[in-house]
Amino acid sequence: MTYILEAKDLRKQYADKLALRGLNLQIAPGEVFCLLGQNGAGKSTTLNLFLGFVLPTAGAAFVNGLEVAVNPLKIKEHLAYIPEQVMLYPHLTGLENLALFSSLAGYKYSPTELVEYLTEAGLPVEAVRRRVGTYSKGMRQKVGIAIAVAKHAKVLLLDEPTSGLDPKASNEFSELLRRLSSQGTAVLMATHDIFRAKEVGTRVGIMREGELVDVRPTAALNAQELEQLYLTYMH
Amino acid sequence: MRNFWILFSYEGRHFRAAKGLVLLCCLLLATGLYGIYYGTTEIERQRQHLATLPELTRRNVEELKVKFPGPADAGDIGYYHTTFAVHHPDPWAALSLGLRDVNPSYVKLRLLGLQNQLYAADNTNPMKVLSGNFDLAFVLVYLFPLLIIALSFNLLSSEREEGILVLLLAQPVGPATVVGAKLAFRISVVLGLALALSVVGMLWAQVPLDMRVVAWLVLTILYCLFWFGVALVVTALQRTSAVNAVTLLGVWLVLVVLVPSLLNLGVAAARPVPQGIELTIKQREEIHAGWDRPKAQTMNRFFALYPQWRDTTSIRERFVWRWYYAFQHLGDQAVAPQAAAYAHRLQQRYDLVEQLNLLSPAINAQSSFNALAGTDLPTHLQFQRSAARFHDSLRAFYYPFLFRKVEFTHADYAREPTHTFTSQPELGTAYGGLVKLLLSVAAMYALGAGLLRLRPISPR
Repeated sequence: MTYILEAKDLRKQYADKLALRGLNLQIAPGEVFCLLGQNGAGKSTTLNLFLGFVLPTAGAAFVNGLEVAVNPLKIKEHLAYIPEQVMLYPHLTGLENLALFSSLAGYKYSPTELVEYLTEAGLPVEAVRRRVGTYSKGMRQKVGIAIAVAKHAKVLLLDEPTSGLDPKASNEFSELLRRLSSQGTAVLMATHDIFRAKEVGTRVGIMREGELVDVRPTAALNAQELEQLYLTYMH
Repeated sequence: MRNFWILFSYEGRHFRAAKGLVLLCCLLLATGLYGIYYGTTEIERQRQHLATLPELTRRNVEELKVKFPGPADAGDIGYYHTTFAVHHPDPWAALSLGLRDVNPSYVKLRLLGLQNQLYAADNTNPMKVLSGNFDLAFVLVYLFPLLIIALSFNLLSSEREEGILVLLLAQPVGPATVVGAKLAFRISVVLGLALALSVVGMLWAQVPLDMRVVAWLVLTILYCLFWFGVALVVTALQRTSAVNAVTLLGVWLVLVVLVPSLLNLGVAAARPVPQGIELTIKQREEIHAGWDRPKAQTMNRFFALYPQWRDTTSIRERFVWRWYYAFQHLGDQAVAPQAAAYAHRLQQRYDLVEQLNLLSPAINAQSSFNALAGTDLPTHLQFQRSAARFHDSLRAFYYPFLFRKVEFTHADYAREPTHTFTSQPELGTAYGGLVKLLLSVAAMYALGAGLLRLRPISPR
């Protein structure tokens, strides 16, 4: 089977901490893999290694078959990333920010298309031409989602993507993930939100002290079982 | 490359949104224009002053013609007649005044001893001298680095601190492209400003179109690039904006203030220059002693220098001009070694600074600008030597009148030698400065690139 995301014995040692202890992970196209775990468990380090933001101490991360450390720019053509807090250029409008990041990703959209991406991500149409400096955290998050969607990436890396969203927007985001997943986009999402993971994930992995200690298909668990499993590893 | 230009164009938007920086650029533009105005006004003031000197000489001649209506003793004329050795500024001097504010632009000369006349300059306001020149070179050398610091201290750190860098580097764009585009935009803004000011200054000062135009512009570009190189090195260290700002201001303080001050002290200690006042006192004592010395002794010493006048009649009178001018002349001769040593020491001091200015690109740039404008120390020493040669020519003109006892007629005024000296650029010094600056720039960018290779840019 061809994996779009793959980690082979991925290890990351920071100066004073072993953040990742030999992670092995494969994610197929269309799969939504949710990484659960406490703060410092290694979720964000895993995302950073796939993004090439940090280099592995040992092992390798692959995106679409390309080793991240060897092809740091090429792999980003296949990746879209939404951080926990989407920060944008505050003096540019939502539209201009989207135009900038899309053009960096190699896409040139008309203003109409840009507005469509933003409104589909949930940004009110009257806000698209307002400076981002006036946006709430949730609105910025929606622009981040639009940036990710407009990139047409094969892989979506998400770090607590719904943390700034209200329940309605979170639900819309889940819908969006399901839609992207059905179109073949692989998703790796680091989250604390067990119920969101159960709702949109095809598999969940539980991380603890830099190790992926358990991986389960979400279809095999109900929400209570997942919560119980999570709590088991957290104590 | 496509992403480079996208980021470059968006930098323009970020820059326009940063009203403070736009205001700072406007302020520096205004300051630069004032620097050009100051320099051109100062040089114009000097030119106007120098232009009045021939009129002063003409009036002096008219007064002498009234005082001595018929043929006169050349000794009287030599004593009362004043003429000027004039140091005309090059048009470039308006852009880099250098030492033209502290060194006299003319020397008032009579047939008397040269040395005390050579250093008799108009008094200048020491407070004005202390504050220095506010010319274009000052703006470029001392103030432009501050603009570069203001534009570059948060080259990447602001995006990192605001959290935007994460999203930016998640796109297929390398950190080198992001840094390069940001740096390139800032370089284009600063160089645009610096070169525009330089061109305005050149047009305003009406400089001749020669190689110095290119040299000035290249010097300006390299100097600005050096400071951007410093900003790149500090950026590569990946500290916070506050730390970067303090570091860059510290580097500015060290290179622009501290190193020049220490260099000044060090060079003064390593190359002590004899006090000019000692030379003046010795010459004065020698001349005053001439009144009491036996005339034959004075004349024999003088004839050893000028054997062609040995056959002139011996002096029996209590006072004759040729004896008077002979001991004036001997006064100069007595301090000639000190005068030569004084000039030599000044030149040595200058040469040592030229060798050591690799330590401070600010000194290097300033001395290179001065060298291009012909306003540095070697040019002034050349003028002094030119003035001394002019004084020699005055002696050569008057001595036949004095020693052959030829009467000085009104027609002889027109035959008197005149002097003119126009600053010449020290191109060797300027080109040497360019090479040193090029080395400094290369060293900074190599260091910055090396640091970035050692410590890849972290988006967080």
